[in-house]
Amino acid sequence: MDWQALVLSVELAAATLLVLLPAGLLLARWLAYTGFKGKSWVEALVVLPLVLPPTVLGYYLLVSLGGGSAIGRWMVDTLGVRLTFNFLGLLIASVVFNIPFLVQPVQRAFEAIPRNLSEAAAVSGLNAWQTFWRVELPLAWPGILSAMVLTFVHTLGEFGVVLMVGGSIPGETKTIAISIYDRVQSFDLAGANQMALVLVLFSLVAVGASFFASARLAVRR
Amino acid sequence: MSTTGAAVALELEVEQTLPMPLSGSLRCGPGELVALVGPSGAGKTSMMRVLAGLMRPERGRIVVGQEVWCDTAQGIFVPPQRRHVGLVFQNYALMPHLSALGNVALSLLHLPSTERAVQARRWLDHVGLTQEQQSRRPSQLSGGQQQRVAVARALAREPRLMLLDEPFSAVDQMNRQGLYRLLADLRRELSVPIVLVTHDLNEARMLADRLVVMDAGQVLQQGTPASIHNAPRNARVADLVGIQNRYRGQWLGAMDGAPGYGRMLWMGGDETSEAPILTVRDKGKIQSGQAVHWIIPSDGITLVDSTAPRMIDASDWDAQVLEARHLGEISLITLALKAVPDARLLLTLSGPQRQGVGVGGVVRVRLDLSRVHVMPMRSR
Repeated sequence: MDWQALVLSVELAAATLLVLLPAGLLLARWLAYTGFKGKSWVEALVVLPLVLPPTVLGYYLLVSLGGGSAIGRWMVDTLGVRLTFNFLGLLIASVVFNIPFLVQPVQRAFEAIPRNLSEAAAVSGLNAWQTFWRVELPLAWPGILSAMVLTFVHTLGEFGVVLMVGGSIPGETKTIAISIYDRVQSFDLAGANQMALVLVLFSLVAVGASFFASARLAVRR
Repeated sequence: MSTTGAAVALELEVEQTLPMPLSGSLRCGPGELVALVGPSGAGKTSMMRVLAGLMRPERGRIVVGQEVWCDTAQGIFVPPQRRHVGLVFQNYALMPHLSALGNVALSLLHLPSTERAVQARRWLDHVGLTQEQQSRRPSQLSGGQQQRVAVARALAREPRLMLLDEPFSAVDQMNRQGLYRLLADLRRELSVPIVLVTHDLNEARMLADRLVVMDAGQVLQQGTPASIHNAPRNARVADLVGIQNRYRGQWLGAMDGAPGYGRMLWMGGDETSEAPILTVRDKGKIQSGQAVHWIIPSDGITLVDSTAPRMIDASDWDAQVLEARHLGEISLITLALKAVPDARLLLTLSGPQRQGVGVGGVVRVRLDLSRVHVMPMRSR
């Protein structure tokens, strides 16, 4: 059992959520409440990481963030920070490929809130911030919760993009999914089996618990 | 909890073409109840949204008491948060995740949280919800109870204007009576203008001091229910307020030797028979030869004995009973006149008058011509 890889994966999943959640909430709410020309294209862009092969996504991230790219060079020159083959690079890639997993369900959750509730809140004297905290967020919460769980579990299991952008540096970019792959490559099936089982059980429990919580929240209404 | 204001507590003028046409004006005194009536799509709810600040009119002005809430000419627009409007939404728009108490407390966020709960409880007590019901969520309350929560939430806002959007549509007939009483109590307590949107004419006539008749985004007429009923501005208003006895005619001009009276042909017969002439009150506004619509309210039509003496301002006609529907205490009768074959007279009978009126029978009706209201036909 490669505990180091498991811990790294959990750290990556938590960091991804921390970065993606605030931005994703804003983006999802904006897409849910505003109609504008070209909205379908923005929505398509949001879903793109879901339909692209992970290698394609990883390739473009590598090309645009690597040492040979303008962004990559600028980051190294001014801040001394590399954006590939380290945890930061992994995090950026992880955030990008999780956008659809977070934004889509949260957008649906906001869309499901009847519009007259926000109007009722406004007439009752609530400003936009109070309406968000006291009306929209509690009502969208089941959707947000399941999106968070989905994002977390999905990050734990991501393989292709991580391998492209991060390689397999132990303690730095070698996540549990890559560790399983390495074990299989070196014919350590018992080790691979153990870690695969841990991942399956963890994912099942997390997703199951989130569905259970959503259903209970829905009944309370 | 009440506000004192000038004689006119609410003044609204609005004029817009986009996103939907909306035009007209509205005035409402303190404690007065004005009902916006009209078919769906008439712009009633849009008018209400403009008043609440949920919609910004293209051009318009709203003054409530001494405050200007909207004046597009001067660039003034007070957002809904600062308007102090008590709005009861059509389907109440209660927050499903909050208890009745939490819903009302939402209007009281400016207070510290302990005070908030006390006040919310007071308002819910006021509309007659038990302690146990106050802690329930909207989905665990009946339609009538939900509506009371919505009213309490609106009241907790200490409104300067009360808006009720089809408030009774989701409540069954039995609960309506209780809610009508609640509304009557409200009017006594609050001396703020109340605007009610409804498509139910009977409800509007029963509850409102004045009606505002709307169609296709336009205010067509406003006035007391009786005045609109007796003198609708045009045929469309007559239809919208449910006047059934409307006929076509041709104005023949003032009557010689009888100032204040004019003569009119009653159109609607076949070509062989001659159109009868009616002598009705004349205000001198209609030109001779003008095609007109005219109405007579159903209380201007009575059944008379064939031996009844003739009277001034009345004309008697023989009619055949085409249809008689007996509904409990009253009967709805449709008559066809022998002299004007196309015309149908609808009247409601009650008491002993109902006896002896059967389909196919012949009766004598008297039209009170002083109640006839003539409207020139205009091609708009």
